[in-house]
Amino acid sequence: MRQSNIGWLFLAPATLILFVVGFVPFIYILYVGFFDWNTNAIDPTLRWAGLQNYRSLVFDTTFLNSLARTLGFAFFVVVSELLSGYVLARALMADRLWGRQFFRTIHTLPIVVAPIAVGATWRLLCVPGFGIVPYYVKLWFGIDYNISTNAYHAFATAIIMDLWHWTPFVTLSLMAGLTALPKEPLEQAQIDGGNKLQIFWYVIVPMLKPVLLTTVFIRLMDALRSVDEIWMLTKGGPAEATRFIGLHIWINVFPKTDYGYGAAMSLLTLYVTIVLSWLLFVAMTGRKGGAQ
Amino acid sequence: MNSFVKAACVGFISLGVWSSTALAQDSWWKTAAQPYQGATIRGISESTPASKYVEQVLGPKFTEETGIKVEFEATSWDQMYDKAIKDMEANTGIYDFVYIEQDIVYTYLARNFLVDITKTLADNAKIASPDFKPENFTTFLNYFKDPKSGNVMGVPMEAFIKPYLYRKDLFDDPAIQKAYKDSTGADLKPATTHDEYTQIAKFFTEYGADKELWGTTVQASSSHPAAFYEFFESIAPTFGVYNWGINGTTFAATEANGGQMNSAAAKKALNYWVGLLKYAPPESTSSTWDEVAGTFAAGRAAQGLVYGENAAWIATDESKSTVVGKVGVSLPPVEAGVMEAAESGKGYIGYYDGGAFGIPHSSKNKDASLLFLQYIGQASVQTDWVLAGSRIVMNSTYDDPKIVDQDKKMNGYYTLMREDGKLFAGAPPFPFHSQVLQVVAPFIYKAIVGEIKPDDALDQAATAAEAELVKLGYRK
Repeated sequence: MRQSNIGWLFLAPATLILFVVGFVPFIYILYVGFFDWNTNAIDPTLRWAGLQNYRSLVFDTTFLNSLARTLGFAFFVVVSELLSGYVLARALMADRLWGRQFFRTIHTLPIVVAPIAVGATWRLLCVPGFGIVPYYVKLWFGIDYNISTNAYHAFATAIIMDLWHWTPFVTLSLMAGLTALPKEPLEQAQIDGGNKLQIFWYVIVPMLKPVLLTTVFIRLMDALRSVDEIWMLTKGGPAEATRFIGLHIWINVFPKTDYGYGAAMSLLTLYVTIVLSWLLFVAMTGRKGGAQ
Repeated sequence: MNSFVKAACVGFISLGVWSSTALAQDSWWKTAAQPYQGATIRGISESTPASKYVEQVLGPKFTEETGIKVEFEATSWDQMYDKAIKDMEANTGIYDFVYIEQDIVYTYLARNFLVDITKTLADNAKIASPDFKPENFTTFLNYFKDPKSGNVMGVPMEAFIKPYLYRKDLFDDPAIQKAYKDSTGADLKPATTHDEYTQIAKFFTEYGADKELWGTTVQASSSHPAAFYEFFESIAPTFGVYNWGINGTTFAATEANGGQMNSAAAKKALNYWVGLLKYAPPESTSSTWDEVAGTFAAGRAAQGLVYGENAAWIATDESKSTVVGKVGVSLPPVEAGVMEAAESGKGYIGYYDGGAFGIPHSSKNKDASLLFLQYIGQASVQTDWVLAGSRIVMNSTYDDPKIVDQDKKMNGYYTLMREDGKLFAGAPPFPFHSQVLQVVAPFIYKAIVGEIKPDDALDQAATAAEAELVKLGYRK
């Protein structure tokens, strides 16, 4: 009994902080979502709106498009980063690779760069008229690459930028997972005559599942709330081509000061994120709960 | 001997008067600042040539004279609003003085963010500087007065018009003039109509095909409010569409309800402006006000509408500009009848922009900040500030020999501002500025990238603006 109390005592500071910075704002947003509240309205006070904000969201094509765009972005970046991260992890673990220590260090550097700086750097690289990317894309491929007029170019650039920034994180995570794998099952599979693909699919992937799950969840949640990098790169444009949900919520809550509607958007986005994560968890583990 | 004594006496008396005046001036700021010794005041502003001068020159000078430290944050336009408004809303008191752009002042007044400067000075005579006189300012000060009381709520720190800049060297080149005449049948001169402007833009784009030269700048970022501003504040008025096309009484935006946002004139304006992109450099669709100035300074455009705050460095600073001595200044081109409407006070032909520093109620150092605002509001600090930032907020500044000299180098920009400034106007007095901007701007972006036609863009924008105004309670 005493041991249990001491345990709670040690946990208390962290629990308190989590309560204050996590639970209280959540409750506040839940509360505000039921009101029509804009401080620049004729009546700047909170006016009860019931479920009206949520009802409006269902018919708000800008919001729905933004959400769909974000899901598409998240799908592309998570899958691409997982694949390229795995390939890089295996490459960096190969003994025969010359200069792998040096490359490992260089390859990890993007992780430590602040997202805002990443966005600004890519912006300078890609700005029409002056950036080196449009220049060489035109020179080598004859394509008029322009992230401020072409929605596909902007969307693809946002994905490539995210890949550049976060693939190293996936690589490091998978390297840690691969290094920790026991050798016996792999050797056993080889003795049993399994080819490389079979070993990968039936031995490595199942054993790597906890690391894969963690990595996918972290990257998925990050990708769903991308704001700063995108803001610096395209400001959500051209038009609304890269206005992902985080940016859309920010625009509604801050410049537009539409707090009630913004709160409803935040909650719905949180709900979608949770559902998506749960579906992914079920799909990857084949279970409906209880992670190991 | 006698004359020597007289001359010596006159000299001593002059020296005495000069030194006593100087000491008296020094001592006033020191005396007034005595209770605030060691205090630190923090301000935030958009990063502009004028605000950088405050950060680098006026702030340190004020600290030297008063002992009050000035921490000044010159940041991007978006960040400036984001930080300042959050601070004032939350009443945190991080900033002691904030930049109030002319178009946002109505929102700040409606939300009672600002300290009444006139009243505070009247209530506290000890900190009222004899050198701060509101009557010294140009009429631009009126934008920062409370419409109800007439009291000053902000001290103007920059004011400029958005003129039509053109490459004088190209326009005056006989070979180019001949080529233009051969090509168009008209004489090459600064455009006074939109058709002329388009024709010149087309000519120079063809002429400059192998010279990295285009016909015009366009402030048409496809995702930044700068595009909204250029269209509604600089282009639409030249077609006779004022106040963003919103009726100031009924707050209607659609033509059907009495607004102008989707009127035939507005649609003509947007078609014209979007059409100019054919003759603009590729960076135009990502250009805000800064990039437009950069494009012109880099010699990549033959003409353009450029904010006056950049006129001085473009025309005179060789370390930044490749077109020093080659800049011509004129009034923007207009549709028939618009100039007459502006001259009679019924309309305007462009944007009279600028800003002031105000003190938020949330400030924890109001008196010290008020001293600083008065310090920058003295006539004596204006001249060098104008040379650095091409901004004029006081009538007397125009006649200063240094300014007259710079005016010549700028092809008479200050003269234009002084004589024709009345043809320009600030933003409409809407307290819902940011809200309408956020719903309308995406349609302008879509028109820029060709996602929808300009006519459809304005129809949808006007409907969205009205819906937002209904939601905000301004329109029933």
